[in-house]
Amino acid sequence: MNFFFDVVLNAFIRMLQLFWFGKRRISNSLSIYVKTNEGNTLCVDLDPKWDIKNVKEVVAPRLGILPEDLKVILAGKELHNSTIIEECDLGQQSILHVVRTQPGRNRTRKLNLPQDTIEELASENSDVNESGSKPMNETLTDLPLEEAEESVTTISEQEQEENRAHFYVYCSAPCKSVQPGKLRVRCERCSSGAVTVDRDPQCWPDVLLPQRITVHCENDFCLPPLSVTHTEEIESQILYAKFYFKCANHTSLGETDESVPLYLIKPNLRKVPCLACTDIRDTVLVFPCEAGHVTCLDCFCDYCTARLHDRHFEFDTVHGYYTLPCPTGCPDSYILEVHHFHLLNAHQYEQYQRFGTEEYVLKAGGLLCPQPDCGMGIIPQSPDTDTTDEECRKIQCIGGCGYVFCRRCLQGFHVDDCETQHPVLSSSQNPATGTYAVDPLKAKDAKWDEASKKTIKVSTKPCPKCRTPTERDGGCMHIVCTRAGCGFQWCWVCQTQWTRDCMGNHWFG
Amino acid sequence: MTALPRRIIKETQRLMQEPVPGISAVPDDTNARYFHVIVTGPEDSPFEGGLFKLELFLPEDYPMSAPKVRFITKIYHPNIDRLGRICLDILKDKWSPALQIRTVLLSIQALLSAPNPDDPLANDVAELWKVNESEAIRNAKEWTRRFAMDN
Repeated sequence: MNFFFDVVLNAFIRMLQLFWFGKRRISNSLSIYVKTNEGNTLCVDLDPKWDIKNVKEVVAPRLGILPEDLKVILAGKELHNSTIIEECDLGQQSILHVVRTQPGRNRTRKLNLPQDTIEELASENSDVNESGSKPMNETLTDLPLEEAEESVTTISEQEQEENRAHFYVYCSAPCKSVQPGKLRVRCERCSSGAVTVDRDPQCWPDVLLPQRITVHCENDFCLPPLSVTHTEEIESQILYAKFYFKCANHTSLGETDESVPLYLIKPNLRKVPCLACTDIRDTVLVFPCEAGHVTCLDCFCDYCTARLHDRHFEFDTVHGYYTLPCPTGCPDSYILEVHHFHLLNAHQYEQYQRFGTEEYVLKAGGLLCPQPDCGMGIIPQSPDTDTTDEECRKIQCIGGCGYVFCRRCLQGFHVDDCETQHPVLSSSQNPATGTYAVDPLKAKDAKWDEASKKTIKVSTKPCPKCRTPTERDGGCMHIVCTRAGCGFQWCWVCQTQWTRDCMGNHWFG
Repeated sequence: MTALPRRIIKETQRLMQEPVPGISAVPDDTNARYFHVIVTGPEDSPFEGGLFKLELFLPEDYPMSAPKVRFITKIYHPNIDRLGRICLDILKDKWSPALQIRTVLLSIQALLSAPNPDDPLANDVAELWKVNESEAIRNAKEWTRRFAMDN
């Protein structure tokens, strides 16, 4: 019933809109910034139903030139006159680049060029109104992770439609979530968006790595740096594309508003079932393994959560990322863009970052401050040859809580051997107060952390390697230390390294 | 208790519609995550002719963690201990969410065909299997006859 009511209401509102805006020409306005290569910026309201020719007709008078003398550039492509605005992935306050095809500028260019190219250039110039192409988002196909060996396969229009690239980004502000993204391009040298690419990107390395695709820059002020040698001069004439991504969910906040592409997330146009839940979902994550295993985003989060809970993220040994491989255990399948873990909630992502940092500190030979609620990462300087063993053991949590502790036993710093220490008793014997007598035995139990210290002592056993108090709340006797960087496998019964004998004799007690 | 994930429903339906030869897995009437399993001893193995009862439980975070499986019927096997616990890599560190109840049970059936005394769980059984295989196989046949046949 509600649904029916909504339908009627929507229809009514739409009729009203038609009636109201019919008089104003623009039925559903899109505010766009138009940037010229002469440094002007105009704000224009466009109708998404218009084509680029209409845009030129609106913009040209405001620049005092003829519409035929304009080129409209978006995302590395000159747009053809027949392109409809709503086919381009333009959002509110997006930027369109408008370039004046100056006859004067071309003439000076021609003078510098060798004879045989003049004709070519002239013919290009004569059909300038018919130049341009479809916007990048219409022509770009789904990018493979690796460079394809041969990509000369011709595909039908329908396949092209099904295979069209869709991008997802992590928008750090203001959305703070995973959103659809838009691919944009600028000149690597002058950062101007008024560039046309010489070819579409064919694979992700084309987009992510620098100097893969050349551009033609329309910015008059895009000057090469002063060069010395001839080869440098030639090199500096070659301009490269710098691709970047914008969040498609929020109104553009200007040219510096960029987002990180999450290139493993794809629309599931091939209808592949998730390897975990076997549902066919619209958006999936494709792991960078050879098989290209697919999970839905929910199962990816479950996978991350389970691994995070067990602290079983891994260090990718090649690049050093704290990350996860394909859940089916494929080789060389680490996720190398860790922003993908933003699919987790904010609390989990924060936990992921903390674990990663801790693991890194420990891997680098550092240690974590043992004080509760501190856990500051400390990487002590490598000891000089003349420092004593004692100085080596003494660690101060600088920048954190200031606690001074023993590197070996992680208790408060002490002079003697670790085992003989009784930190519990050290501060209760104070003979200076003569008038106020305290029974040292009673005072011994009346300390803030005493109860928890006792509980820990009674209910845990230390890891034989890193001495972390470990509690066993069920399961077998095979203990894997979950402390960052330790991972020691030990036997709860023997309190030594886990062996085949432990497994045979008392695996389950 | 949250609703049963679709994956478990789908797997259960498929197990019912296309059962694996030699294996039956039926969910419990009161707990859809608990399966009553019967595996027939593979041909040409000391377990031939036996019907082995197992229990299989899908934990809360299945399929991110492995199902828990245990033999209920006593069995003389170097990779299965006296409490029926199974030493099988895919139930431990080699678990992957792409595996299913079906694949787990097939692996267990394969384990009956190919005991691995070099990766033992039951040390005494493994020892005998290595030292005197014919006697070990005799024991296994005897246990199969005693515990897995007359029910």
